Amino acid sequence: MSDAAPATADIVVGLVAHQDAENIGVVAKAARQGLDGHCAGLAGRVVLVDTGFGEDSAARAREALGDDGDVLETSTARTPADLLDLPYHGIPGKARALSAILARARELGARACVVLDAGVVSVEPQWVEWLTRPIIAHDFDLVSAYYYRHPYEGALTKGLVYPLVRALYGARLRQPAAAEFACSARLLDRLLDEDLWEREGAHAGIDLWLATAAASGDFRLAEAALGVRTGRARGEAPLGLGTTVTQVVGALFGDLGSRVERWQRVRGSVPVQQFGEPPDAAPAPGGSVDPERLIEQFRLGYRELRDLWTWVLPPRTIVDLARLIDVPVSGFRLEDELWARIVYDFALGYRLRVLARDHLLRSLVPLYLGWLASFVLQVRDLGPADVDLRVERLCAAFEAQKPYLISKWRWPERLRT
Amino acid sequence: MPRPGSAGDPLWYKRAVIYELPVKSFYDANGDGIGDFPGLLEKLDYIEALGVTCLWLLPFFPSPLRDDGYDISDYCNVHPSYGTLDDFRRFLDAAHERRLQVVIELVLNHTSDQHPWFQRARRAPAGSVERDYYVWSDAEDRYRDARIIFTDSERSNWTWDPVAQAYFWHRFFHHQPDLNYDNPTVLQEVLRVIDFWLDLGVDGFRLDAVPYLIEREGTRCENLPETHAVLKAVRRHVQARVPRGMLLAEANQWPADVRAYFADGDECQMAYHFPLMPRMFMGLHLEDRHPIVEIMQQTPAIPETCQWALFLRNHDELTLEMVTDEERDYMHLAYSADAQARINLGIRRRLAPLVGNNRRRIELRNSLLFSLPGTPILYYGDEIGMGDNTYLGDRNGVRTPMQWTGDRNADFSRADPARLYSPVIMDPIYGYRGINVEAQERDASSLLQWMRNLIGLRKLFPAFGSGSLEFLEPANRKILAYVLRYGPDAILCVANLSRSVQPVELSLSALVGLTPVEILGYTDFPVVSEQPYFLTLGPYGFYWFELQRRDV
Repeated sequence: MSDAAPATADIVVGLVAHQDAENIGVVAKAARQGLDGHCAGLAGRVVLVDTGFGEDSAARAREALGDDGDVLETSTARTPADLLDLPYHGIPGKARALSAILARARELGARACVVLDAGVVSVEPQWVEWLTRPIIAHDFDLVSAYYYRHPYEGALTKGLVYPLVRALYGARLRQPAAAEFACSARLLDRLLDEDLWEREGAHAGIDLWLATAAASGDFRLAEAALGVRTGRARGEAPLGLGTTVTQVVGALFGDLGSRVERWQRVRGSVPVQQFGEPPDAAPAPGGSVDPERLIEQFRLGYRELRDLWTWVLPPRTIVDLARLIDVPVSGFRLEDELWARIVYDFALGYRLRVLARDHLLRSLVPLYLGWLASFVLQVRDLGPADVDLRVERLCAAFEAQKPYLISKWRWPERLRT
Repeated sequence: MPRPGSAGDPLWYKRAVIYELPVKSFYDANGDGIGDFPGLLEKLDYIEALGVTCLWLLPFFPSPLRDDGYDISDYCNVHPSYGTLDDFRRFLDAAHERRLQVVIELVLNHTSDQHPWFQRARRAPAGSVERDYYVWSDAEDRYRDARIIFTDSERSNWTWDPVAQAYFWHRFFHHQPDLNYDNPTVLQEVLRVIDFWLDLGVDGFRLDAVPYLIEREGTRCENLPETHAVLKAVRRHVQARVPRGMLLAEANQWPADVRAYFADGDECQMAYHFPLMPRMFMGLHLEDRHPIVEIMQQTPAIPETCQWALFLRNHDELTLEMVTDEERDYMHLAYSADAQARINLGIRRRLAPLVGNNRRRIELRNSLLFSLPGTPILYYGDEIGMGDNTYLGDRNGVRTPMQWTGDRNADFSRADPARLYSPVIMDPIYGYRGINVEAQERDASSLLQWMRNLIGLRKLFPAFGSGSLEFLEPANRKILAYVLRYGPDAILCVANLSRSVQPVELSLSALVGLTPVEILGYTDFPVVSEQPYFLTLGPYGFYWFELQRRDV
């Protein structure tokens, strides 16, 4: 930090880097251009947090910015767990990194703090404006990125994370675990005071938890449409679906217990305001998805895991699932209400530890694949708007079934009944 | 250095669910037959799973144990039977890690006659500061208007001390001399004791027997202004050191007298509502809401930062001091036909035996405990419906070992049964083979699971701890109905105090348009209209309704 650099900032842009030396220059430049060109009149600072894996991301960032000396660097200590338990988003120690960025933003008295993943390739300078304007000009507290995705992309979010977060907290935040987001000074104060940074599962769940913390507090939420997001692979083999489900759904379920006073009092949901610009490019086609293969995995799961599911799911659900076993592919439908109740029963099973949580979550995977097959069969011939409508119907089912979750949560004796 | 207090919420005690336990009775980790702090630490998972948020520990200090530890001989240590100070520290840290607050006893009024202060005082010259740690007299004729509290065992509030060649004053047992708060040095000593425990990290103190701190001729020596001055000084001291430190007053008095212990919010934050407890039992036995409504209507408002402590049972007898003679007769006839169950003016029985081990009656009483305005205190073992042994002398019959499993000694201790500080309950109804934690954890319909659920619900709605109370007046007096309001939240509680199905029409005109959602099952009931709201309740049934406005 140069002597001339101001001790305060209106906007802080935090870059979270992990093995991103190749790409961080692009993101740093975009951040600087975004601050200079799209946030006129506001003092901005770039804060870089490298999660500490030996690459000199900071030097690359400085190089990209022309060494203007206006990059604050913060490093976070690496822990052995970071190496053993790679999170689905690919950034070990991300909770500590985000905490460090928010803390720096508070120190600098920032009115808004933007977080960008240093591995995002499709970053544009306008992102800084789109993420911060709702806060600076319209008093919003959390602005979550909304990316334009192929119908099959982000299926776990569409089929479980979004409907569940929406039903629980009443906010229609469509991508609540987005890597890019911005928060107000008021929200970052609250977030820093929340007991979530060191919580078990924070390495994978922190993005989600920031959103649920905001949604369960007295904060105003918005979305910024940032177009299509592409990110670079960080050199690790992609995690298996089982691990991703375990991490994402486990983080979500684990969060429920600490926010019960809020979500059990929420009925219905309200849209969040949209900012940003509509995408000018179609998302890249996703990989081909073969519903028949998914259904086969569901059927295999039913055969292998049915006894285990009976620990969590009531007889009616097991019977409903059994009916799907012999249904031809073309007629395979896992109804929204059934899927919602399955998710809720797994949330209860997780809470009550009816079996080891990791096993419980992994046993959800075949059921999720069954839902995914059903979803793909229903949307494969639809346009984006109709896909959105289909997801809306699913969300409505989650909302309608919420009393099922609450009544069982309050009186767990009713689990499996 | 003092710790800031483990609770984040400055009014944590208003939203708390308190669990009262004697360390000696909970779990014995070292196999000597007496419960201890390492044992309690081992059982914190159970306590956490129960859902309570605060532990109130009965006295665990060095003591001759002639009054179950309320006769303290060293205020700043742990009785060796229960462990060491390091054991206490480990327990406290572990409790705080689980977000459990810990409240300990502060016996302000008296010490053991074995306390070094008393041993020094009886040998010190008359009129010296050391002698004046206690209250002395050459004759028994001072303070004659003060009643005797332990009528079964004490004939006078004065006892002759042959060493001092004088009488010393005691409101309780003759081996518990009262401290003399007219001597300013005594208060300084007590404040040092407070600092010791605050610095270790405790979250509050239950102030034992507070009405009796000061004596004045011509008075009953209870609730005197000078006593309140002492308590205010204690509060100022605690507040300055640990702002979230809580003081809970044990003042077995009428509500109007107890009100003074809250003062203007600058004395004790909490005080027991002693008269409510017997009236909850009376109302249910009479199948008439009148005793409960009457005492609550006599209860004065208290400052916002203060709170009543409510309980059904505790380590003492079901005290009947705060009832009329006629009411006391009724209670004895109703609940202690067996004279063995009586002690002093009360009844030495646990909750389950008091209500004939009737599950519905237990649930109904708990529903009142957890919904009437105040902080509920649950006595260890009552969550599984433990019984008692009225033949153990004094009040020891309600202080028997916690029943963990059906194994030897109820798995409370690995010691030989003869070595236990108290026999476990072994009768065919309440014995540990049938009534124990292990069995009830495996039974989804057990009282333990029911209590866990109820505690969870209680914590979900701040109106239960912090709301205002308004009684409804349906024509059917077997029905007790009231509305709790807290901010925009409103909760309707309806209880059938009788053994038979009862209909009731409630006038809910102030709640028109709201949808009652039954809290336990999250079931919508018909929207409230201008018409009387009709409900039917099963025997000893109760409903809690969250009143939701659906148009928002």
